[in-house]
Amino acid sequence: MPRPTPIDAYPTKTSDLQIDTEDILQEQIPPDGGGRVLHKNAHLQFLVRNLAQGFPARYMSQDASQPWLMFWTLQAFSTLQIAIDPDNKQRAIDTIMHWQHPDGGFGGGPGQAAHLLATYASVCSLAIAGRPGPEGGWDQINRKKLYSWYMSLKQPDGSFIVSNCGEVDVRGIYCLLVVAHLLDIVTPELIDGTAAFIASCQTYEGGFSSASHPHFVDNVLSACRPSLGEAHGGYTFCALASWVLLRPYIPLDDDAPRVDTRRLLRWLVHMQGSEIELGGFKGRTNKLVDGCYSWWVGGAFALLEALGVSGVPESARASDETPPPRPGTHAEDGWDDVDDSLFNRRALQEYILIAGQHPAGGLRDKPPKNADAYHTAYCISGLSAAQHRVCPSPAWRAEVRAVWKGEDGVRAAAFSEALSWTEEAGASHVVGSAANRVNATHPLFNLTITHTEGIMAHFYKQSVPKRVPKRSP
Amino acid sequence: MSAPTADDTTEHVFYAERPEWADVVPVVQYENIQPLAPIFYSPEYKDATDYFRGVVKIGEKSLRVLQLTETIIRLNPAHYSAWQYRYETLIAISAPLQPELVLSNTLTKASPKTYQVWHHRRLLLTALGDPAPELAFNEEVLKADAKNYHTWSHRQWLLAHFDQENLWADELPFIDGLLEDDVRNNSAWHHRFFVSFERGSNDDKDEAEAIVKRELAFAKEKIALAPNNSSAWNYLRGILDHSRVPYSTQAIFARQYIVDTVEPRGNDILDLENPPPSEGAELPCAAAIEFMADVHEASGNEGISEAVELWRSLADTHDTIRKRYWEYRIRNAVATTGKA
Repeated sequence: MPRPTPIDAYPTKTSDLQIDTEDILQEQIPPDGGGRVLHKNAHLQFLVRNLAQGFPARYMSQDASQPWLMFWTLQAFSTLQIAIDPDNKQRAIDTIMHWQHPDGGFGGGPGQAAHLLATYASVCSLAIAGRPGPEGGWDQINRKKLYSWYMSLKQPDGSFIVSNCGEVDVRGIYCLLVVAHLLDIVTPELIDGTAAFIASCQTYEGGFSSASHPHFVDNVLSACRPSLGEAHGGYTFCALASWVLLRPYIPLDDDAPRVDTRRLLRWLVHMQGSEIELGGFKGRTNKLVDGCYSWWVGGAFALLEALGVSGVPESARASDETPPPRPGTHAEDGWDDVDDSLFNRRALQEYILIAGQHPAGGLRDKPPKNADAYHTAYCISGLSAAQHRVCPSPAWRAEVRAVWKGEDGVRAAAFSEALSWTEEAGASHVVGSAANRVNATHPLFNLTITHTEGIMAHFYKQSVPKRVPKRSP
Repeated sequence: MSAPTADDTTEHVFYAERPEWADVVPVVQYENIQPLAPIFYSPEYKDATDYFRGVVKIGEKSLRVLQLTETIIRLNPAHYSAWQYRYETLIAISAPLQPELVLSNTLTKASPKTYQVWHHRRLLLTALGDPAPELAFNEEVLKADAKNYHTWSHRQWLLAHFDQENLWADELPFIDGLLEDDVRNNSAWHHRFFVSFERGSNDDKDEAEAIVKRELAFAKEKIALAPNNSSAWNYLRGILDHSRVPYSTQAIFARQYIVDTVEPRGNDILDLENPPPSEGAELPCAAAIEFMADVHEASGNEGISEAVELWRSLADTHDTIRKRYWEYRIRNAVATTGKA
């Protein structure tokens, strides 16, 4: 048995919970060394039941998150490589369009106020199920009103409130930036000061908090912007993804806001639980592992690639051309020789397969908890992040840029940056049989690359060069 | 003036059956479509939200809207539109906010993990302008869950927003108590950093130095108590980074934690600046090895090989799950010296 977390003969509530959890997790390991099977059919049944029959009454607490229930379900299908039939797609579109608010944005349900989070989940659901043209959803999004509503939420410190009279936090900003990028409504006014706000949320631990508090001295924003709340996996993902999205617009002068990537990387790697915790991720220091952080933290490593922080040695990465051929593509053997990620991808997959799957279908935080729509989506996306290496490809960025129609500028940059993310051929590592493989997802948006390209090409009125799957060497 | 409460102990009467609501036309959620992924609502919830949509449609803001939104919030505290409409109604009809805060106490304690309950309090406290009683309430909620993210960020907002001397005054003793209960409570450590280093109005240089000194001593004392506590090491690093003090200043302290076993204590005088590991300590402590590797790395060329050796021991023995990361540190450090 792996070594338990040392408690130095000084037990406290935290260490008691930790030890109990370690025991529970160890009990999950099948004695015969098996159990590394993704039960795709059971999860599909779970998802289909939710989609077609509906969610049981305990989901009433998520009545204001209907777009999330939709997005989690549709995105889980996409990652599990399941296409939705045209009838259900149309029903999805019709349902989603009932959430659009007459004054712009989408609410958590029909007649609910527009909300940044609901808008992200609605638009991303439309990226999956929608299409151009009448009744297709895409062209029925009122982008003009959406933009005005976004501007109405803007705060003097560069942040945004999530809804009229709502709170500020980095989840909302991430959701706003994703939608603004997908729908081609980013402007300098919209994002003015936002990067500095994001940077101010980084805590001494290296991860990011929910928000920072602005102090104004004579109407000028003071440099002291204390973070509200400790470093947290969910907020860290949102802040880091926002930072990566905003990077093309950040000036390169000395006063430009900065993020400490060294400290951030250190915090991210320390969120991975040890062998006795089956290598799952936790969301905060001294808290327990939870399947959803497979995506929020496990998925954050890909984002670091955009900031030049990579496990691939520089020598192997120097070429802007095709990724270097590396042997041992899907085989378990020799994995350790070719894996150059910064976290333990194998262990994360094992956590999801062994502890994250509920025997009755759907995925979960950890045993003995129930499965739910949220954990199902983020465990599967996390599994995807652990299986595939998706990073910005300079070569692909150049190809996208080469066929850009229109003037150079922030729009061209936003488009080619977002679509430069490419799954590196030959760098996938799937624990268990090849049937465990799930689709790669875009690290910034958590949509498949196909869905991202489809909706962005439409709104930017561009065509994207056809991606030719690179042959594995 | 006070709103009739939607007390859940009395028998529930559907809004559709209340004569005083007969003038409002309820609005069903979905008309003419079969929504995908619907939720099965309880009859009470469906009834109340149908009337809520009806009220929002006509823009009514009245006393009875407070009752209706309370019904919904009690059934689903995450219904942000009901909260928002409720707040706007309170303001529109100039309802007294103190009773609303009292009601909010109950709702917050019942659903402390909901964003909306805390944000509503913020709006009320901002409008009322009296933050003093809030710390005690906050502490009460923390007693039930000492790591609740919302409770902590609310407390920090309260301190930063009002920035009153009397609010800050007892924060350190409060944190001391929490860390005595559980020295691994990272939320309490973060709060300590917030209180010690992130108070905007504090810019006295001598005082700042005294704070650094005090906090270094505090962190080391807590590390000695239970050395394998990431929260305390992160705090120690945080102080040093924040005040730009080199890690090497703490090398004598940290070195005591990278040995294999606790050294028996003689009768020699205890070095108070460098408390040794407790007798129950499980050594070597991975966080100390990491710390010492950073010390060596910062010292440059000769230090690198010592740092590499420590990282190697983490990768191969003491912290194997992070093998890739430690190897990355080795590659980076070696590449840097190669270039130098």
